[in-house]
Amino acid sequence: MIWFSQTKLLTLFLLGKILRFGFFITFLYFLLKGTGKLAGYDTNQAVFFFLTFNIIDVLAQFFFREVYRFRSQIVSGDFDLILAKPMNALFRSLMGGADVIDLVTIPPLIVAVFYVGSMLDPSILHSIFYVLLLINGLIIAAAFHITVLSLGIITLEIDHTIMIYRDLTNLGRFPIDIYKEPLKGFLTYFVPIGIMITLPAKALMGLVSLPGVLWSLCFGAIALVLSIKFWKFALMKYTSASS
Amino acid sequence: MKKYLSLFNISLQQEFAYRLNFIMWRVRNVIQILLVFFLWDSVFSSPDRVVFGYDRTKILTYVFGTLIVRAFVLSARAVDVAGEVSSGDLSNYLVKPIDYFKYWFTRDISSKVLNFVFAIAETVLLFLILKPPFFLQTNPLYLLGFIISIALAMFIFFVILFITSAIPFWMPEVAWGAQFIVIMIITEFLSGALFPIDILPQAIQNVLYLLPFPYLIFFPLQVYLGKPGAMEIVRGLSVSLFWAVLLWFLMKSIWGKGLKVYQAFGR
Repeated sequence: MIWFSQTKLLTLFLLGKILRFGFFITFLYFLLKGTGKLAGYDTNQAVFFFLTFNIIDVLAQFFFREVYRFRSQIVSGDFDLILAKPMNALFRSLMGGADVIDLVTIPPLIVAVFYVGSMLDPSILHSIFYVLLLINGLIIAAAFHITVLSLGIITLEIDHTIMIYRDLTNLGRFPIDIYKEPLKGFLTYFVPIGIMITLPAKALMGLVSLPGVLWSLCFGAIALVLSIKFWKFALMKYTSASS
Repeated sequence: MKKYLSLFNISLQQEFAYRLNFIMWRVRNVIQILLVFFLWDSVFSSPDRVVFGYDRTKILTYVFGTLIVRAFVLSARAVDVAGEVSSGDLSNYLVKPIDYFKYWFTRDISSKVLNFVFAIAETVLLFLILKPPFFLQTNPLYLLGFIISIALAMFIFFVILFITSAIPFWMPEVAWGAQFIVIMIITEFLSGALFPIDILPQAIQNVLYLLPFPYLIFFPLQVYLGKPGAMEIVRGLSVSLFWAVLLWFLMKSIWGKGLKVYQAFGR
């Protein structure tokens, strides 16, 4: 019975995610049908930006879903039990519970990325750049989630921080070229949505040079290291007050 | 009446009790508006461009208009009703001398008032920062049509929310799932909150205009922008009124049946 209830709920959420994706693609298609181009990109390119956003977003939600459940562990004091176990507490808090719904949506998304990407006629080198920067995007997403966990330990606030992160990444549904300064700079360097989402797609289109790729990979590595340092700092502030 | 007035005041104070919650919700609204604003700003980078029947001034007015209209129409405390049905907390209200629908409508109004005040402040702030062109409607008939369409939209959304919230009477476990689909996905897209419906092909538009959703955000903003003629406004208001009445009776019927099978799960 519990399985049946869970199945109904999972089906509803899956249906919702498919509907949202379908509505957005429809909107994008008809928008570009009417306008021709968006910030200089044609329909296939704009759809590819959107698909790249989706693949990073869905993979991040699939891997890092446990972050959404972290607050209750901090507030109730259950985080003590995680700290006491012989398992890396960061790994457990970050990747301890994958999302099944997102697992279902990942294969068709990969097929869509491959199909639309192949229509852009990328070279092998640009395809390698794309995969590298996609992984880099996931590393930056991991850094974001670690920062949210750390802030959660210090402030007990998770839910809104993670939703604001989601809203900010939603700005990457379209190429960040549509934004004006200072928002564009903010999305490139401070909240690096551009490096996370726009740059991989641009790399496949041959619009990113090798130094640009290397610089982005360095940025991703630095972001991850800094977020782990912040996590360690936050752990020292953990008071286990509720337990 | 007096008890609902007291409820309005208490509800308003309660919103302030969870200040961070409220502020974060408003921040999220602003971020969403930024996405849509810059998208259309990019499409209409040339001031003389006209696409989908909109020029730069009208489309950016539509974007900022959604911020205000959303605050009126889509801000609602009644999103908690589904949870109360599934958790059994509804029982607390059934034994009190208070009308459950009026209770939540009053709470919704207080939420809308607060959201409207903040939406106005955010609009002014974003205007000062982004300096977009703005279409100011001065025709009193269009303004009257706009106000009536907003009032009907508020009521239609309230009723849609209550119909969705009745699902847990039969399936308590899907309370949040049903709201996710109906309110966060279908209403968000088909109401015109993200993009104007008239960018879609005419055949799709014709089907959508038969549904209640476009009358929540899209139609009031079209009236404000002065796009429909007098007959079209009357027709649109009539369809809104038709949906308001039909959904109201549907909701009463569903809730009547729901209360008969209500078992106060979780109590």
